[in-house]
Amino acid sequence: MPRILDIGCGRKKYPGSIGIDMSAAGQADVLCDWEKTLPFAESSFDQVRLIHIIEEVDNIFRVLAEVHRVAKPGARVTIITPHYTDHASYCSPAHRWHLSSFSLWFFSDDPQEYDYYAPANFRERRVHVELLRLWRAFGFQFLINRARWIRRFWEYYLSFVIRGKTVEWELEVVK
Amino acid sequence: MPRILDVGCGPTKYPGSIGLDMNPSTAADVLCNLDRGGLPFRDNTFDEIRGEHIIEHVADIIATMEEFHRVTKPGGTIWLVTPHYTDFSSFRDPTHRWHLNTYSFLYFYPGGMHGRDMWYTKVRMREAKLNVKLLKLWRAFGFEFLVNHSRMFRQFWEHYLSFIIRGKLMEFTFEVIK
Repeated sequence: MPRILDIGCGRKKYPGSIGIDMSAAGQADVLCDWEKTLPFAESSFDQVRLIHIIEEVDNIFRVLAEVHRVAKPGARVTIITPHYTDHASYCSPAHRWHLSSFSLWFFSDDPQEYDYYAPANFRERRVHVELLRLWRAFGFQFLINRARWIRRFWEYYLSFVIRGKTVEWELEVVK
Repeated sequence: MPRILDVGCGPTKYPGSIGLDMNPSTAADVLCNLDRGGLPFRDNTFDEIRGEHIIEHVADIIATMEEFHRVTKPGGTIWLVTPHYTDFSSFRDPTHRWHLNTYSFLYFYPGGMHGRDMWYTKVRMREAKLNVKLLKLWRAFGFEFLVNHSRMFRQFWEHYLSFIIRGKLMEFTFEVIK
């Protein structure tokens, strides 16, 4: 059985996973301040999930470095976060960061220059943008997710009108 | 020779300047983290401070600007480049803490807020020059010229147009008042 870690699991822990959270109100199996260190051994998970959590942490790179440490080589990391053009990005005063679909490019595109800031190595397997329902109905979501250059053009010119909802990444742990 | 400090100089330090960065694999002459205490220099040391894509990363903008002001000579300049908050680049880097616009430094100007001084800081500087860059398409249509040559149009653009006619970079030149 694959070992799955759900970081910041809250009340809807991923089925079959180990949930970790700071609050006892949810379904967490492990309670701790996980932002600095994850209380697990090296290379112990096949899958790590961070659902609506990276926008709240103090240092995204440090958290992802810890995720990299506890994940097995080749493990998959799923990250979901609001797009910066969605109202949800601004609804919670706990949201420190407003992110776009290129916010994790440091890990894959330009590893050399940014190694100092992002020492952990991931490969971006998949990026998926969800748009508001209206725009999805018009086919914009399909278009944006079809090619990187279309997504880039959307981010630069269109995203404050044809607004995004969430961004979902699937990263592969490279060790 | 003017003494210039390049804050967050990265791999390409401004020629003839003293480079400061927190990353040791850059061209920095001095290693220092702006968020952990002040700048390691005496008062009134520099004629010019240059900060390219740095102010959007710091933990406390006001404290950082106060430090820049302290180490700059009276009449010296602080030159900053930072993304406009409507540019995609403002949201691409997950270490950008602040999303700024052309009025983000009003707190430091004499009579900054509708002719009245603001009380968040005692430090004063004058906006000697401001240059806004827009996305290529909008520059081609002449909007960049309008934003930079008419204060009224810039205000109208910030209020009404900037989510459509999106900005790119802002280049501020401040003159230090002491």
